[in-house]
Amino acid sequence: MTEKTMLLALFPDIDPAAQAVQKLRDIGVRDDHVNVISGIPVTEAMLGRPKQTSNVPRLSAGGAVAGMLLGMFLAFWAPSSYPLNVGGQAIIPGPPTVVVLFEMTMLGMLISTFLGVFLDSRFPSYEPKEYVPEISDGKIALLIECLPEEESQIEAEMTRLGAESVKHAEAQTL
Amino acid sequence: MAVLANAAPHAQPHSNSAEHDHEAHLREEHLMLDPRPRGEMNAMVMDSMHATGWKFWVIASILAVIVVICLGYYWGLMISEGMVVAGINRPIYWGIFLVNTVFWIGISHAGTFVSALLRVFKAEFRRPFTRAAELMTTFGLVQAGLSIFMHMGRVWLAFWLFPYPNERGLWPNFHSPLSWDFLAINTYLMSSTMYLFLPLIPDLAMARDRSTGWRKVLYRILALGFRGTESEWTHLRFAMNLFAFAILPVMFSVHTIVSWDFAAAMRPGWNSTIFGPYFVVGALQSGLSAVAMVLIVIRGNMKNMKYFIRPEHLDAIGKLMLIISMAWAYFFFNDYMVQWYGGDSWTKVLLKFHEEGPLGWMWMSMLILNVALPWLILWNKNWRRNPVILFTVGFLINIAMWFERYIIIPTSLSINRFPFTYQLYKPGVEVQLSIGTLALFILLYMLASRIIPLVPVWEVQEGQMAHSLRKFGKEHVVTVSDLE
Repeated sequence: MTEKTMLLALFPDIDPAAQAVQKLRDIGVRDDHVNVISGIPVTEAMLGRPKQTSNVPRLSAGGAVAGMLLGMFLAFWAPSSYPLNVGGQAIIPGPPTVVVLFEMTMLGMLISTFLGVFLDSRFPSYEPKEYVPEISDGKIALLIECLPEEESQIEAEMTRLGAESVKHAEAQTL
Repeated sequence: MAVLANAAPHAQPHSNSAEHDHEAHLREEHLMLDPRPRGEMNAMVMDSMHATGWKFWVIASILAVIVVICLGYYWGLMISEGMVVAGINRPIYWGIFLVNTVFWIGISHAGTFVSALLRVFKAEFRRPFTRAAELMTTFGLVQAGLSIFMHMGRVWLAFWLFPYPNERGLWPNFHSPLSWDFLAINTYLMSSTMYLFLPLIPDLAMARDRSTGWRKVLYRILALGFRGTESEWTHLRFAMNLFAFAILPVMFSVHTIVSWDFAAAMRPGWNSTIFGPYFVVGALQSGLSAVAMVLIVIRGNMKNMKYFIRPEHLDAIGKLMLIISMAWAYFFFNDYMVQWYGGDSWTKVLLKFHEEGPLGWMWMSMLILNVALPWLILWNKNWRRNPVILFTVGFLINIAMWFERYIIIPTSLSINRFPFTYQLYKPGVEVQLSIGTLALFILLYMLASRIIPLVPVWEVQEGQMAHSLRKFGKEHVVTVSDLE
């Protein structure tokens, strides 16, 4: 089996990067063999890339449910086990229960949203990765996984479409 | 569309010099129309963190000494001697510690308001200073938390607040607004810290790419390995949008619950149904004023910040301050009116004590500085844009808001249904501890400004991409594209 190589093409702008994405598709490079790296969020629609999905909303919903369950534990189980008479209120009164449930639900949701970013993005991850610091200076990089025999064609096309550099992507410690 | 900030991306052939002047004026006025290459903006922000003069360290050292003496020594004294060194005594058991708690929670509201609410409504002027405001939230909540611990007295027993099975058979009373406080403030502190960190990740990665030595190690750890891949941005975008919407009700809940510490008590002056929104608006009043003050200090003292923070931003915050001041006046009058009209004899005595008692000057100052002053000054565009004037107004509003909390808490507690216990509150170590928390807040902020990129460069660049000048007839007007 032929080992694939990784090319990194660096573009100065969205327009040539979008054209390059289309060209790669035209010459048979699959979408999942291309990754875009940028210093600002560039939407998939701008580059003509497939829609990205995220588990963050699902994880948030899960966290909200978990938080609410914890809130129910505090609001229902706790006063049942440690009953306190507060000014003639019921042992499990309605309005205070709403407050506890709300705060715990929101806490669960926001923590799981935060952790969701970590899980989905596999943060923290300190192993060497394909990257060049110019990306955070506003350049757009296309990471292209291709066969060695496709390299020269891709390099030529990327250069023709305005890539400032096309080189073998080297994993480096960030 | 250009990713790189183009020096003149919207340039049209100029028919005459007046048009050119107008266009040049618009670019000078609006950060979003005055783009610079991203690399240059990165360098400016990095430079602002590194350029530290001797004055900075002198001020930081003085603040550190104040923190050690006022916070370290006097808190230690209170712990060893007991609450007797504080001024709280019958009938005033809630004093300056709780005034400070409410005050700092109020300050913390500005970060969320500026960042989340303005993000939800896509107010573009927010972009360069969201982080500076968010940082205030986190550090403000730290001071609020410290003030609560001071108020506890026996602070080493703070863990009793946590619900866990124990041999004492104790359990927090979740019917109590004080327990809700514990939940709400912790929720808000954690949420706002996470909300500060998420949009910071790309800027930490930027700082990582441009640092050496210990800074490189620090930024490398904090950037978590972020590169800016499509999936990383997607997850961040989802999370930030979700946070922006979800943290707003949390923000409103926190100060509402703080208000219930008072409003849930059947006490004249406190038992008010409008205390929740009144406290929230009061928090925004002091918080926004504090944001204005911080921005003016940053702009005046940090390198390159005049590019990012411009008179247009002071103008926008000044307008918000004016609107919130009007809202505060409305809620104050509503609360006052209903109490005055109710006819309860103890309430009448309390209102008279507020207005004409020994601290009547404080009540009157509160109204003048919170209402009259901003209304007289902030309607004027030139005055709003003047850093000295805006800073002074912000400072005086914060004094007034501190007075407001002082009137609500110890002043209102000075008199009650037992006239033989009437007594004015005379603070003890509260004064030193208050100075200590203020010094700690400023010190933390100063130190953070050397480590954390205060300007979210990627957000500024995104905003600059979205803005352009469009010509209608002979007029150039600013247009904004929705890039999300």
